[in-house]
Amino acid sequence: MNFKELQKQLKAMEGVSKLSLVRDNVIKIDLERSTSKDFFIKMKEECYFEHCSLITAIDNQPNFELVYHLSCLSGELKVGDTKMAAMLEVHVNLERDSPSIDSVSDLWFGANWHEREAFDLMGIYFIGHPDLRRVLLPEGFAGHPLRKDYVYEIHEEEW
Amino acid sequence: MAEMWISMGPQHPMTHGLWTLKVKVDGETITDADPELGYLHRSVEKMGERRKYFMNTTLTDRLCYASSTTWTHNYVLSVEELMNVEVPTRAQYIRTIMLEIQRLASHLMWAGAYMPDLGHITGALYFWRDRELFLNLLELPSGSRLLYNYIRIGGVKRDLPDGFEQKTERILSLFEQRLDEYADLFENSKIFRMRTEDVGKFTASQAMNMGITGPNLRGCGVKHDLRVEDTYEIYEEVDWNVSTREAGPGYSDCFSRYMVRIDEMRESVKIIRDCFKKMPKGPTMSSRVPVRASGEAFRRTEDSRGEALMYLVGDGSDRPYRWKIKSPMFTTISACPHYLKGYKVADIPAIMGSIDICIGETDK
Repeated sequence: MNFKELQKQLKAMEGVSKLSLVRDNVIKIDLERSTSKDFFIKMKEECYFEHCSLITAIDNQPNFELVYHLSCLSGELKVGDTKMAAMLEVHVNLERDSPSIDSVSDLWFGANWHEREAFDLMGIYFIGHPDLRRVLLPEGFAGHPLRKDYVYEIHEEEW
Repeated sequence: MAEMWISMGPQHPMTHGLWTLKVKVDGETITDADPELGYLHRSVEKMGERRKYFMNTTLTDRLCYASSTTWTHNYVLSVEELMNVEVPTRAQYIRTIMLEIQRLASHLMWAGAYMPDLGHITGALYFWRDRELFLNLLELPSGSRLLYNYIRIGGVKRDLPDGFEQKTERILSLFEQRLDEYADLFENSKIFRMRTEDVGKFTASQAMNMGITGPNLRGCGVKHDLRVEDTYEIYEEVDWNVSTREAGPGYSDCFSRYMVRIDEMRESVKIIRDCFKKMPKGPTMSSRVPVRASGEAFRRTEDSRGEALMYLVGDGSDRPYRWKIKSPMFTTISACPHYLKGYKVADIPAIMGSIDICIGETDK
């Protein structure tokens, strides 16, 4: 499959808007939250994005934003005549009141801990995640410290 | 026999840093595993939001003590992408040389740590003896042994010192003899091969899905290297090859993952030599380096352990609004239940050692 064909396909897909090229081998799009799961299934099954590089959660006060970086490692997705590996950057907006989205950890196992981290540090809920626990902070930690409205308090605990 | 959970770590010789691996065993056979992280969490991302862009290079150095240049370089590259900074050609060559020396040091550190995991204490001494040579080389331009802070936004801190090329060449030719020595000591050793062959197998498609990248993926025979596929600095212009190995069609074991790193060290030597040949004269620092940035940018680089990615969002001030670090080991450790299942408890150090864990970058 060619990179240009992929751009055409993406433009025609439901929920996709604002398609642009970040670099020669990176496409950036905005995606509707409601159609996200169907979109990611298609990306994995048909468009050769077999690796989920990163899931970033951003606190864009007031709303949250999730950024998915998907990449093709096998070289099936050709970028012109170059050896470059194709990448897709997907932005999804989430409401502050209910920051939740369908989990993609059943598609890419590598997304499992990225989602746990986004939950841990930013408080995003991933619906259908098999094991949504804190990963870096200890159990019982209150709050999500990467949120911009998180207030750091010094807790003095008795030993 | 009843199944039970055993907790290995956080202070276990296998863990290489602080983390806990809980394994569920049925007799001697592993049936499930549950890795736990967080013992070394220093909230680098949060700290970075409070510091100016150029200050963060001290934090990125401390992400991984075995491979600090590659992490600083990834951060600097992302910031340069965000700020549209042009880097002088000589600085790019110096960066590539430093990155490859760091890769050699990191792989030697890994190999030295891997041997005691397998009960081969002498191996550690051989590899770490040679790692010291490369640490000395890194110390010459940067002034410190482990945390260099040498690569800066817009170039490098200072030019290479006099006689650096000759010293490097001397060490590289010595090191090439040492690589042949390792072949006799380890690759041709029957005991080493018994411990590593057909242990910790995973296929290429599994690895991609689980988020395993870098040497561990190249050990499955996949020719994927971000130095070529998302090229940066001057890797395009230098003469070298991507090294791959496989244990069988499309899968890797501990031995192929060991061998791919040894091959990579030979390639690194080639890259460094070629860089010295082609390096032009000129400035080593960009004349214009902005302080503020807005927008968003990311770059991927080939870290010693796999795909490193930093995603930066700027809001027009002199500090990053959001800074996200992707560590290759974070996902590789998360997948360990998949590639541990079915092996014996005694294989755990051999398997977990072979994927080259660094907890500093993982816990951030």
